[in-house]
Amino acid sequence: MQRLRTGLTLLAMGIGVVSVVVLTALADSTRRYVVGEFASLGTHLIIVLPGRAETTGGHAPLLGETPRDLTLEDAYALMRSPHIERIAPLVIGSAPVSAAGREREIRLIGSTAELKSIRRLSLAQGRFLPEMDPHQAVPVCVLGKTLRDELFGNRRAVGETLRIGDRRFRIIGVLAEEGHNIGINFDDNVIIPVASALALFDTASLFRIFTEVQSREAIAAAKEDIRTIIKTRHEGEDDVTIIAQDSVVVTFDRIFKTLTRMVASIAGISLAVAGIVIMNVMLISVTQRTAEIGLLKAIGATSGQVRLLFLAEAVWLSLFGAILGSSLGTAAIWVLHTLYPALPLALPGWALAGALMVALVLGIAFGVMPASRAAGLDPVRALARR
Amino acid sequence: MRIQDLMRLASQSLFAYRLRSVLTVLGIVIGIAAVVLLTAIGKGIHHFVLNEFSQFGTHLITVVPGKARTLGLSAGVISNVRPLSLADAEALQRLKEVVATVPVVQGNVQVELGRRLRRATVFGVGPRVPEVWRMSVGFGRFLPPDDYRSARPFAVLGARVHKELFPDHLHSLGARIRIGGDPYRVIGVMAPKGQMLGFDLDDTVYLPVGRAMPMFNRESLMEIDLLYRAGADPDEVAQAIKQLLIRRHGHEDFTLITQKQMLDSLDSMLEVLTLGVALLGGISLAVGGVGILTVMTIAVSERIAEIGLLRAIGAERRQILWFFLSEAIVLGGTGGLIGVALGIALVGAVAAVFPALPVNLAWGYAALALVLSLLIGLLAGVLPALRAASLQPLEALRAE
Repeated sequence: MQRLRTGLTLLAMGIGVVSVVVLTALADSTRRYVVGEFASLGTHLIIVLPGRAETTGGHAPLLGETPRDLTLEDAYALMRSPHIERIAPLVIGSAPVSAAGREREIRLIGSTAELKSIRRLSLAQGRFLPEMDPHQAVPVCVLGKTLRDELFGNRRAVGETLRIGDRRFRIIGVLAEEGHNIGINFDDNVIIPVASALALFDTASLFRIFTEVQSREAIAAAKEDIRTIIKTRHEGEDDVTIIAQDSVVVTFDRIFKTLTRMVASIAGISLAVAGIVIMNVMLISVTQRTAEIGLLKAIGATSGQVRLLFLAEAVWLSLFGAILGSSLGTAAIWVLHTLYPALPLALPGWALAGALMVALVLGIAFGVMPASRAAGLDPVRALARR
Repeated sequence: MRIQDLMRLASQSLFAYRLRSVLTVLGIVIGIAAVVLLTAIGKGIHHFVLNEFSQFGTHLITVVPGKARTLGLSAGVISNVRPLSLADAEALQRLKEVVATVPVVQGNVQVELGRRLRRATVFGVGPRVPEVWRMSVGFGRFLPPDDYRSARPFAVLGARVHKELFPDHLHSLGARIRIGGDPYRVIGVMAPKGQMLGFDLDDTVYLPVGRAMPMFNRESLMEIDLLYRAGADPDEVAQAIKQLLIRRHGHEDFTLITQKQMLDSLDSMLEVLTLGVALLGGISLAVGGVGILTVMTIAVSERIAEIGLLRAIGAERRQILWFFLSEAIVLGGTGGLIGVALGIALVGAVAAVFPALPVNLAWGYAALALVLSLLIGLLAGVLPALRAASLQPLEALRAE
């Protein structure tokens, strides 16, 4: 009988700890996944976009047009800053693409050879855009993996021609599968030289400029340089937004940390409920064992010893439940990890330690009252009860 | 045994073990209150987001260039080889069910008044904006219905831009300002509209689209917004738009986003959020259920003698079963009722303390939680009750 009761109490504490452990691990690994994705792009990346919002805390002008274009010349003028290692201008738009009689409307990216190293792209076949004068419109293109599969199936793509809008481009490479490269999904894209894209869309304006700074320390100086250079070129008008990649990473990190903490504390409510269950069981146990307590006291146990005895029992219950819960939780995480290897699922140490600590504290907090009740019993009356 | 007698007997034995019952109920109370509070927050966010999106009206269809998949932004909005033109907007205006169209280009421009400068979002639009976007003019008037290609250089300011450029609120109507270097005359100021998902709708300037396009050096529109007659079938309108544009362009190189579609998919996404939060709260409820199970198991073992006596004086197995089952149900149900009440009180408190946090009592979930608490009581009671019912009267009596 005692065994069943103990088992159930452990189960209550176990459910609480399992949920805290598993949910925290899920939330925390999502955070690490997202932050890792951003960090893999290099933390000393600065993105320059046209337009600037004045309202503090507002969005950056994501797709805004400006009266003064952010041009290819502006982009290469940035190279004058000693802090800037390399740049890649970016033009984005949609265009109908056809090859071998199949047509699709796809997203087109105009850029230069530097995009490969800045966005850490790798190729499955062929080569990336060649190093050349960015003002030269060469009719070559690089396909994303998904697009290649849809247009060519099993046939060879490199060397074929692709019709984009009313122009023809020769396919010189296919990107390796990127999966989710945050910001831009390169799998369903075609990349062409920036000058060709500007001509295709009949525009002079860049969508973004990616700049890679030499080191993390130089970011502030590089930002200052970019602002000065653009201002001089734009007749004194400060009309670009400059975003440092590491500030984006920090923002995401903060958002997801808050989220993790929230999920952990919601699941933590169940720990409190489990604590109440322990207290209840301990109280019942004190009532049932009145005679035993009376006997203990009669043979010389002090009130302090009796209190300690019952307190130890409560702590033991909650701690053992917590250990049970964390091992179950760890097992669940392991199973999830085998099922979805893509997610870097791991239990953060603080969550495990935290769950055990909370269980210990709960055991003491909810054990105090039953223990005091047992300690306060009068030996004579306790013995006479039965 | 009558149901009233059953309930009375159950309540009596619960009262006999007061502290134990209170603690058991407390477990359920916390779980239910958590579910009620969390779903209220989930539903509040749900309503908040939907309101943000539906403030522009639900009879709205947006046409954007390029084919976009799902909710994502079409890259065609930024640049594309098959543009959406002003002539397209004019042609759409002539469709039967279409009340008004607004061609849109958007950008970021410096606005100057004397030496005061401010960068603001500029919308190049048509004259029907107040109707289609459901915005109202604070004072003055909106852009006049000029021909798109020869519109006069008039500007309408958003409330925030107006406040920044004319801090004393004097002589703003008729004032000459420079926008992107070109001179414009202010003819109206919009009523404040506030923020939408972080975007300040008042930090804006409205210009005739025919003038904004050359300012941005663009020949195509970013989108065309259409308001259709209330009561018209959105699918039919969308079909008519599609046919007209395919006839004009030769291909389907545009995307239609009906406001209704967008709201529907948003709605189901947020529904999932609320459900997820409810499940998180449900964990505590499960622990509370284990609490009931524990206490009932103990109760059965403690009261073996009582059960034996009841059986000896003629109580049937089924009656014993129901006796313990109803005790568990009363525990769960009481916990549920108090929990719902506490949850509602907490929601009220949260609403009072953090007015910024949108909360909205999810009655459906609250009712579900109540039913669930009864169910948990029932489930947690089944095993101990079955055990009690299966006891042999003689052995049970001997146990004392």
